[in-house]
Amino acid sequence: MNELKRSFGYERIVTKERLQQKKERPNKQRASNSKQTLLRIWHAIDEKRGALIAVLFLVLISSLLTLAGPFLLGRVIDEYIVPGTWDGLSTQLLLLIGIYAALSLSMYTQNVWMIDIAQQTIYKLRTDLFAHLQRLPIPFFDKKQHGELMSRLTNDIETISQTLNSSFIQVFSSVITLTGTVAVMLYLSPLLTVLTMTIIPMMFLAMRWITRRTSILFKEQQRTLGELNGFVQESISGQEMTKTYAQERRMIEQFDEKSAALQKTGYWALVYSGFIPKTMNFLNNFSFAIVAGVGGWLALSPASGVTVGVIVVFAEYARQFTRPLNDLANQFNTVLSALAGAERVFELMDEPQERDEGLVLPPNHIRGDVRFDRVTFSYGKETILNRVSFEARAGETHAFIGPTGAGKTTIMQLIAQFYDPIEGTIYFDEHRATDLSRRSIRDQLAFVLQDAFLFETTIRENIRYGRLDATDEEIVQAAKQANAHSFIERLPEGYDTVIAADGEQLAQGERQLLSIARAFVADPAILLLDEATSSIDTVTEMHIQEALLTLMKDRTSFVIAHRLNTIEQADVIHVLRDGVIVESGSPHDLLERRGMYYDMVQTSRSNSS
Amino acid sequence: MRTVYRFAWRYKWPMLIAFLLMLIELSVELTQPLIIAKMIDDGILMNDVSTVYTWGLVLLGLAALAFLSGVTNSFFAAHAAQSFAFDVRKATFEKLQAFTLATFLTFPSSSLITRLTGDVNIVQQVLFMSLRIMFRAPLLVVGSLTMAFFVNVKLAALLLVSAPIIIVFVRYMVKRGGKLFGGVQKRLDRVNRTIEENLSATRLVKATGREAYETDRFEQTSGQLRDQTIRAMRTMELTMPVLLFIMNASIMAVLWFGAKDIAASRVQVGEVIAIVNYGMRMTGAFSMFSFLIVLFSRARASAERIEEVLIIDETERTATTNETMMQGDLAFCDVSFRYNEEAPLTLQHVNFAIGRGETLAIMGATGSGKSTLVQLLPRLFEPTSGTITIDGRPIDEWSLPSLRKQIGYVPQRSLLFSGTIAHNLRFGATDATDEELIEAAKIAQIHETILSFPDGYETIVGQKGVNLSGGQKQRLSIARALIRKPRLLILDDSTSALDVATEAKLLHALKPFEATTLLITQKIATAEKADAILLLDEGRVDGFGTSDELLQTSELYRRIVASQQQGGEMDE
Repeated sequence: MNELKRSFGYERIVTKERLQQKKERPNKQRASNSKQTLLRIWHAIDEKRGALIAVLFLVLISSLLTLAGPFLLGRVIDEYIVPGTWDGLSTQLLLLIGIYAALSLSMYTQNVWMIDIAQQTIYKLRTDLFAHLQRLPIPFFDKKQHGELMSRLTNDIETISQTLNSSFIQVFSSVITLTGTVAVMLYLSPLLTVLTMTIIPMMFLAMRWITRRTSILFKEQQRTLGELNGFVQESISGQEMTKTYAQERRMIEQFDEKSAALQKTGYWALVYSGFIPKTMNFLNNFSFAIVAGVGGWLALSPASGVTVGVIVVFAEYARQFTRPLNDLANQFNTVLSALAGAERVFELMDEPQERDEGLVLPPNHIRGDVRFDRVTFSYGKETILNRVSFEARAGETHAFIGPTGAGKTTIMQLIAQFYDPIEGTIYFDEHRATDLSRRSIRDQLAFVLQDAFLFETTIRENIRYGRLDATDEEIVQAAKQANAHSFIERLPEGYDTVIAADGEQLAQGERQLLSIARAFVADPAILLLDEATSSIDTVTEMHIQEALLTLMKDRTSFVIAHRLNTIEQADVIHVLRDGVIVESGSPHDLLERRGMYYDMVQTSRSNSS
Repeated sequence: MRTVYRFAWRYKWPMLIAFLLMLIELSVELTQPLIIAKMIDDGILMNDVSTVYTWGLVLLGLAALAFLSGVTNSFFAAHAAQSFAFDVRKATFEKLQAFTLATFLTFPSSSLITRLTGDVNIVQQVLFMSLRIMFRAPLLVVGSLTMAFFVNVKLAALLLVSAPIIIVFVRYMVKRGGKLFGGVQKRLDRVNRTIEENLSATRLVKATGREAYETDRFEQTSGQLRDQTIRAMRTMELTMPVLLFIMNASIMAVLWFGAKDIAASRVQVGEVIAIVNYGMRMTGAFSMFSFLIVLFSRARASAERIEEVLIIDETERTATTNETMMQGDLAFCDVSFRYNEEAPLTLQHVNFAIGRGETLAIMGATGSGKSTLVQLLPRLFEPTSGTITIDGRPIDEWSLPSLRKQIGYVPQRSLLFSGTIAHNLRFGATDATDEELIEAAKIAQIHETILSFPDGYETIVGQKGVNLSGGQKQRLSIARALIRKPRLLILDDSTSALDVATEAKLLHALKPFEATTLLITQKIATAEKADAILLLDEGRVDGFGTSDELLQTSELYRRIVASQQQGGEMDE
């Protein structure tokens, strides 16, 4: 019984302030926003204009058939059943059956075509959005929750899909019915028609009152759904943490909080949307009462030309008049919910893409000189790199060392064109990085990252990711070079083993070996190794050391590593501290200089002996 | 579907009232024609304006009543539907939390996400619709049919002849639709999966220039979703035209046989017309029906997917013993483990024991089973055979919360949740004071770094937060473990990104904790400082003892030492 009270106990979401806020925003801008979103959806559908026109044509036909059916039926009753005429009844009935069959057929066809149009449009919207996502710069992704982005590609697009499937046909057929009805009503009695129309302003006011609330709520609903999606995604990927820290309760509480927010907005959205048919129904009755009341009064004065017959027929049409209006009102609301989703989709679509214009270098056309000229960089408030300059000639190996957070990885990320410097310039050969197409720079480099990422596909395909046209032999060759071949062979399905979603069956080090094999396959001019071997044991590392040296040979290589023997191989070592290069030089020079590098080597030696 | 819709039972009262309110609306709707007839017959035809006004007012009064019922119904129905959805989500999420990690991993994460959001939304929609309109259609059909039977049994029976066909057809469609929409949701999972994969691999995709390749891949999965959706919806679109045609054909039959009966004077013309009228009303109701059938079969598919999670009757086993303070004596006794029945043994007959407060370094090649071994301690996985004891008691006899509460586990990949640093550090100890927070951060050698951030401990990290370096993340996740004041500390290669000096400081600072520490490391220099070293080789214990002992006994250990002799770790 408590639940009865709770039904009314929801905290209000659409408050006076919020409505006020909405009002205060320039009306034009608000309207143009929704209008633009609508236009963009329209543009997406418009590509299927031919099919769309065919559907509209079929809607017209089925509307006519819907009218023709009862009309003919009436004639059959009047002309055959009532007088008891048998001749021709069977032909008439067959004709009717034919009409009904045609009606069913045209409804089926129009719906099926509409589904095709809608789903193709949705498909295009979704893949366009995904392709756009692929072209967004790394800084965009830094502060976005995966699950929240996922929600835009699924839940938000789903609301558009639902609306496209049904609204289009319904709106059009409602409009046809409405036009027809109004025409007949005007023919019967212009005066009564005007009377019936008096409910339209009321309808308009009621709809405005409702949709001003639902449009806020629908947006809020998609937003909270996105947040819930984001939380679920994060909590699932951190399940191991939750378990070992026995924090299930807490996760559930946080989930409930997000879920309750969704419940609350969902509740109000349903409540307000639910008002629409009820209001329409009421106004419908109201208009009928007016027609009957005023009509009855008019019928008493013969001069008005209103007869009882007219009132009876008119009353029926007045009822028919409100039904399509009701449908239109409901569809309008549905479209609003689609707009809420669409706005979030287009918001993402409008994010500026990563710059990619500039000179496109032909493959293997870069020597591999890399130069930093007073490069300064920051992710936000804090400066990470401060006027960093160095020059790497083609084929050289440069190592970066320094405490964590000194900016080593950031340098790698700048070389990989994930971020742009705030000040200063990066050069590849004689070109400024900003003059080159980003893609063509990346085509020349391979990256072995701290976290080896594997896709949910076979090991073979994961290695092939480095160069899509690599042959199976080249893949095995690369795996051998990366010292991954032996463990791959030991797996039950060898190279065809499918990596599971969370890759439980592979150890971190094994994953790393696969990503090194991937770099072998890629055969790049510039190689970036960011802690590539840190999760590999030293014996295995020794085995691949030689392979890594082969890999680094004749390529410009940038290495972040902890192990001295890796670093000692470098041509140049840069010591970083707080975003500044404090020492640079060959290992030999640096030892002689007896600076920071020297100290580090000394402690390291004393530590390991 | 039953398991899911059972959750609606809690809202039986709001639902019942919503239902009653709907009945009021429906009866007003049904009496309207009577009132209108009265207005015309007694009022307008009789030139009696006052009767017109009286009945007009009654009509308005009833309309207001219907309006009020309808509006009130909105509140009850919305409450029932949304609370039901909340409960289903909660139950599903709670179930997930209760799963063992092994079961958890059998569901792809993207699929769990769809189930918790999209699928729940669909089952919720059906409940709401049921409370608003679903009964309308059947009631209209039953009502019209009953009235038709009152008029003329024989002709009305003609309307009923098609009923079995319709019932069979509708049942078939619901079942078929359920299957097809199940396929739709499954493909949606895959779309979700591709997106999730790409979001976790943006850097790799960009660095390798695979944007177009990934878009192709997405076009495939999303194309499959499109095709399956079209297939499902096309099939369902058959419902309405077929139902309409069957009903219209029945009306034709009524006319045909009615005409015959009229000719034989067995029936009045008016009766035939009345039955035709009722038949047409039923037809109108049927078009509403087909919409519900689509909705219903979608809901069926989604409900089944949610149930797949809900019916797994598995919770992590936990002994119901009291909380016991852990001392930290740890022993592995002949422990073997495999991830599943087909997989080879990841650990084979592992034996070792260490005393309280001691530090054990675990070494071995990649894939030798180090991580698996430590994951058995918080019972993320259960050993296939053998026993692990803590303080002499097998770990499955510890109550699970008590066991895990006293373990500080730092996984290899440091995962931070979206939120502030303080929020993350308190993850394992909600009630930790600010002082405890700072103390843990100091031991983990991260306090200074945190202070150097503009927002200090309130800096947002995780998916929505700032860029942290690998070493910073590792130290944060160590601090998160330390704040729990664990009796057993597990560091799974979680100092790999730290320089030797910082690592040494950190390990030194851990001493006063007197926690038994398991330390997976690649570095001999670090391992040497431990009380004992456990060396694993392809899941077997290759050696166990101090560094000196292993130098004597283990060829593998000598090889590792040799591999690091040239200089070992860089101190930064």
